[in-house]
Amino acid sequence: MAGQKAKDDISKLSFEEAIKELTKIVGQIEQGQIALQDSLQQYEKGMGLIKHCRTILQEAEKRIEKISASETKPPEESEEENKQGQDAEDLPFS
Amino acid sequence: MAKTAKIYTVSQINSLIKVALEEKLPPRLIVRGEISDWKHHTSGHCYFALKDETGVLPCVMWASSFKKIKFSPDDGMAVLAAGHIDVYTVGGKYQLYVDKLDPAGIGALQLAFEQMVGKLRGEGLFDEEHKKPLPPYPMRIGILTSESGAALHDITDSIRSRWPCAKLFLYPVPVQGEGAAKKIASALRDVNRRNKQLKLDVLIVGRGGGSLEDLWTFNEEILARAIFDSKIPVISAIGHEVDTTIADLVADARASTPTQAGIVAVPDVQEVRNHLTVMEQNLRNQLSAKIQHAAQEVRIILAGAVFRNPLSLVQDAEQQVDELTADLVESIKELMTEARQKVSDGYERVARIEPHRLLGQKTVELNDWQSRAKSGIGTVVHTRQMQLTAQANRLAALNPKSVLQRGYSITTNKKTGMLVKTTKDVRPGDEMITELADENLIESKVTKA
Repeated sequence: MAGQKAKDDISKLSFEEAIKELTKIVGQIEQGQIALQDSLQQYEKGMGLIKHCRTILQEAEKRIEKISASETKPPEESEEENKQGQDAEDLPFS
Repeated sequence: MAKTAKIYTVSQINSLIKVALEEKLPPRLIVRGEISDWKHHTSGHCYFALKDETGVLPCVMWASSFKKIKFSPDDGMAVLAAGHIDVYTVGGKYQLYVDKLDPAGIGALQLAFEQMVGKLRGEGLFDEEHKKPLPPYPMRIGILTSESGAALHDITDSIRSRWPCAKLFLYPVPVQGEGAAKKIASALRDVNRRNKQLKLDVLIVGRGGGSLEDLWTFNEEILARAIFDSKIPVISAIGHEVDTTIADLVADARASTPTQAGIVAVPDVQEVRNHLTVMEQNLRNQLSAKIQHAAQEVRIILAGAVFRNPLSLVQDAEQQVDELTADLVESIKELMTEARQKVSDGYERVARIEPHRLLGQKTVELNDWQSRAKSGIGTVVHTRQMQLTAQANRLAALNPKSVLQRGYSITTNKKTGMLVKTTKDVRPGDEMITELADENLIESKVTKA
């Protein structure tokens, strides 16, 4: 169903991309250029984007990751490995 | 009689002068003058003179002392030279052996700073067009500062209070002293190289307040170039408001203090939340307005005359039908009147011809013709009959069978069916059939021919 795919696409967007898309949609509906049927669709999409943005803003990571010079680690490591691999200590800042 | 004058050697004189200078002058002094004849020898030692309006003082600065100074001395520069006076016996002159050189008027570091600013500005490192825009909603922020300094807390606290959803990453570096600039520069390059994995949106380079010496690290060329080369945008957050370092000038954005970094680097989450709410409201209102508008259009249509009194359409049509029917009836009436007229005209014309009289006339003629035809035909028939009878008689006369009446007969060969006309047509033993006038047949056999 198109709905689920659209939801997945939205959740992949970065905050910046989501806000940009949202601004575009609001602009479109305000202009009044689109048909009623499309307005409803865009409205749904816009609401989905707002929800996604709000979810991102909800995050509040307390810890600070420490990163320092990699000596011999190869560059194609994933970020997860980088976090754990080197001298990654989490500093207990609150 | 004159006393004999003492005769000195050159060495003795030089020694005496040396001792006299040592006695009279302080062991270390500072001299102000203007540099002239500056020569930086390949050996690293510097030879120059300090001069004022009246004269010059030759100077030497050994390489070991020279490399400590941060600015570039040159002819015409007013300086304060510290050192001791001694005699260069080989050259026969006294010199100031300079171990410390400072620009007069402003500090050495200040001068060095100004010289570096001029140089890098000339290369375009501070130009606006090279400054990268900061990401509006950074989610992953790298911080390069001392792990133990106050700056780290200032930076992280201010970011957290405004934009808690960002993830923070610390890359600990020294922020003053020998080699610090090099370490920070290499940290910047390292992070850039690894950014595919680290995915940092922006970097903050910071330290707390201090003297010009303390902050000197951030005026060094190697760090300036690393900041310039960074593909990730760099925010400098160094010292107090009044301090401007070269790092501040090269960076993509500048925070006047580490705390200010939070304001420069990230937006206010509450403002962003409000913005989202406003957009949500807009969407709702706009859609609601659209729906209202559409509903209104429907209402207008329903309110129209047609919907109020749908029969009106039919009634109009009925009226039209009535009118057309009336017209049609009229037309037909006219046509019929015309037709009737035509018929009666025709009738009159016919009557004028007096057909009964004509008819009578024609009947008489017809009868006349009929009798003539009858008699004519009778004549013809009679003639024809006579002709026929004549022909029939002639034909009968020719009938071969009538010959038979006269006593002749027809004989055929029974086997072949051929007429026996001569004796050659039969052989003894053949059977023959003879036809007589009454159509009776006689069968016979040939005994002799």
